[in-house]
Amino acid sequence: MEATLNIPGKAINDKLLYYLDICARCGACSDACHFYVTTKEPPHAPAYRMELLRRIYRRQYTWSGKIFTKLFKTNGVGSGEFLEEFKKAAFECTGCRRCTVFCPFGIDMGAFVGLMRSMLYRAGRGNEILDMLADTAISKGEMIKELQETFAETIRNLEERLRKETGDPSFKIPVGVKGARILYVALAGEHSIIPAAKIFNKVGENWTLSLFEASNYGYFTGNIEKAKKIAERIVNEAKHLGVKTIVISECGHAYRVFKHLVPTWFSGFNFEVKSIVELVADYVREGKLEVEGKVVEEPITYHDPCQLARNGGVIEEPRMLLKLVAKDYRELTPSGEKNWCCGGGGGLVAIPELYELRMKAGKAKAEQIRRSGARIVATACENCKLQLNDLNRYYNLGLKITGVIDLVAEAI
Amino acid sequence: MSEIKPTKKLDVRGLMCPMPVVKLSSAINEVKVGEVIEVLATDPGSLTDIPAWARKTGNEVLKIDKEGNVIKFYVKRLK
Ligand code: SF4
Ligand code: SF4
Repeated sequence: MEATLNIPGKAINDKLLYYLDICARCGACSDACHFYVTTKEPPHAPAYRMELLRRIYRRQYTWSGKIFTKLFKTNGVGSGEFLEEFKKAAFECTGCRRCTVFCPFGIDMGAFVGLMRSMLYRAGRGNEILDMLADTAISKGEMIKELQETFAETIRNLEERLRKETGDPSFKIPVGVKGARILYVALAGEHSIIPAAKIFNKVGENWTLSLFEASNYGYFTGNIEKAKKIAERIVNEAKHLGVKTIVISECGHAYRVFKHLVPTWFSGFNFEVKSIVELVADYVREGKLEVEGKVVEEPITYHDPCQLARNGGVIEEPRMLLKLVAKDYRELTPSGEKNWCCGGGGGLVAIPELYELRMKAGKAKAEQIRRSGARIVATACENCKLQLNDLNRYYNLGLKITGVIDLVAEAI
Repeated sequence: MSEIKPTKKLDVRGLMCPMPVVKLSSAINEVKVGEVIEVLATDPGSLTDIPAWARKTGNEVLKIDKEGNVIKFYVKRLK
């Protein structure tokens, strides 16, 4: 089926033109992409992804591309086959930007893929599941008054349970506290509330739990308006409560969205944004939180979530925390900003039909974990955890997958 | 309320956000309009996510029951 894909005029800027022009087709990016190294399919090669966009640009904006359609390969643009390749290139990418690190010109594939997804969205060819999840989050924002009581009750039950478990009758999970210093934005399940709550209670933090989840599926759809609406729920909550710092739970893309995009989306956004991992590392450095000792006996490694490490600069903090609690910490090779993507980002873990592809794309990750000899893999992103759990089963790795904050919470 | 008779059961126990909603949105297409799915979940996030999903997609959550840490939703397909 055909569809017209257009690059909106406002997306044409010097950066885009420079990237389209400068690519030397050297192929350095291909070996860096975890999709391309296992599938060898052209739409998975970063430079080819960009070539598809270049063809649209030429057909749409250049005379030569309009007239010499064969020469500039613009004749196929708009065909069903082209659309399929374009969709593959846009959605079978985790936006990890590993290719960018290896490209001699630092061409930002994450930005291209974001643009490609938005073009598909505008042509009515976006991803339905990601879109449905974005709409659900927006809908939750709209009906928050109705849902608030259910949420509060769930949290009260959890608080009660944790009072018994910790033996601390004053254990609190505050909700809606005006003037709190920190707004903690967890994920939709209690697993991302409990460890943070234990740490906050231990250090006596003045915090409050957000009514909303940190994840932002609007960001993955390519529809920035939806991404903004989802983030706006939390921005308004932070303003209403008058907090100073917004702390994002272990979720890579949510951190990137809040740290780097949200401040440019909303005027007067003057909150500090931190990952829970950065905050807990601060507690340790400032002597507010003491860890009992090295309680983790088995060899453990850390998987750098792309959005937190490569694209967010949070590299040292999780390592510092893990080395505090673990006897045998092992580094993956490569790691930090050159770390292999696990293959689950970009919203891919939520798309059931991409399961097999995800498993292929995670092969490089599975192999580097196996080589490390680690029995436990800690990471600081929900999508990575879901993907690592799937890889663990698929490749029979026999691992335990956990969060960094979970381990710290166990050790205090 | 008269007794609800689900035609399908969806077990998403142990699954975490966003999977309960992803599975439900595909399962809803497997029942006819007017029929009910019983969803078993353990993620407390689903307590707010499933009603929000239903409102957005124009379906209806008839009832929510809790048994221990299992949450049961009865979701009726409306369109
Ligand atoms: S951003 Fe990541 S997944 Fe996308 S092309 Fe680059 S290396 Fe591949
Ligand atoms: S590494 Fe950069 S210059 Fe080389 S082919 Fe890839 S995008 Fe083009």
